[in-house]
Amino acid sequence: MHRWIAAAVLVLLQAASAYAHHSFAAEYDAKKPAMFTGTVTKVQWTNPHVHFFLDVKDESGATSPWEFTMGAVNGLFRRGWTKDMLKPGDTVMVDGYLARDGSHLANARLVTLRDGRRMSGGTMPDEPAN
Amino acid sequence: MRVLLASIAAALIAAPLGAQWTNAPAAAVPKNRDGSPNLNAPAPRTPDGKPDFSGVWSAERNQKCPPDGCPDNQMSEQFLDLGWGVKEGLPYQPWAAELVRRRTARAGQDDPTSHCFPGGIVRLYTYPTFNKVVQTPKLIVILSERELTYRQIFLDGRPLPDDPLPTWKGYSVGHWDGDTLVVESSGFRGDDIWLDRKGSPLTEAARIIERIRRVTFGRLETQLTVNDPKAYTRPFTVTLNEYLEPAGELMDFVCLENDASGPQFLGK
Repeated sequence: MHRWIAAAVLVLLQAASAYAHHSFAAEYDAKKPAMFTGTVTKVQWTNPHVHFFLDVKDESGATSPWEFTMGAVNGLFRRGWTKDMLKPGDTVMVDGYLARDGSHLANARLVTLRDGRRMSGGTMPDEPAN
Repeated sequence: MRVLLASIAAALIAAPLGAQWTNAPAAAVPKNRDGSPNLNAPAPRTPDGKPDFSGVWSAERNQKCPPDGCPDNQMSEQFLDLGWGVKEGLPYQPWAAELVRRRTARAGQDDPTSHCFPGGIVRLYTYPTFNKVVQTPKLIVILSERELTYRQIFLDGRPLPDDPLPTWKGYSVGHWDGDTLVVESSGFRGDDIWLDRKGSPLTEAARIIERIRRVTFGRLETQLTVNDPKAYTRPFTVTLNEYLEPAGELMDFVCLENDASGPQFLGK
């Protein structure tokens, strides 16, 4: 288990989530929610997914780099995101789902910005099991 | 007091629109008394009296919400399964049912649109990206922000070609039946076009009939019939709704910009 996981904070979701571009379930595990706090090192406002990178500090004080993905640029902008909300140097909190492959990659469901605003990362709702 | 409340309500309703890419005022949208767009008003008409489908439209967002509430990025049930509203689901031929099982088991990883190809015309109705309809008397053009693609519907009386070049959007001709636009299409690329994330196939034998009505100012309703005897045991019809985005504008969605979802996606 990753030490960054604070699973108790989030309700476990039963089914895999859907994603507009790539299937969420193909890449992320909805049963592995996780929370992160870190410093933004890079932001890519690109399609099909916006990516940003954090230096995340764990309980022992060690820092490691993580990558986060959100939805598409158009969907995020329509929900109130602007490019200056997330900048290198910002300290942000991310509530998301870990990648299935165990790498330092996660889907950002909710991002708490430097000014405390909480923004949706555009994760799609659960896909019906079929 | 009543005026104050109305102003607050108007401000609240207007707030999300302020977050749009542009703040260009929407053209001639009927308003409620509080100033919000009246999307239940009658459909507008063109100078020649036909219903006017022009505008920026987005797919219905009717997906079931998880127990902890609806995320703000709700999608269409028909995005995942075009047969969502069809009793007993889509009538797959046995090979097609087997193909859909395989595609679903791989969680949609092989979906051509996930690999930056355009979708077909059915998915124009279900993707959360916006479409802009530009209507003239002899031609309707549908611009999709998804991979910056277009669809043409010819209204000039030409027939469907006998042997069309198979394309992603096919070849479409339409005519008016009262206030309903009837569009017939053929000439689709076989194999490459999925009708939904489950992977429901479409073959080159397919004909698609759409009966499109602008039932209110804010809603387009399409009865879409797929007649593809190679993949389905009988023609089936689905109802697809699209909603007007009164202050919406197209914004690029080009998936090759940064299709870096990692080897864990592409490799397995």
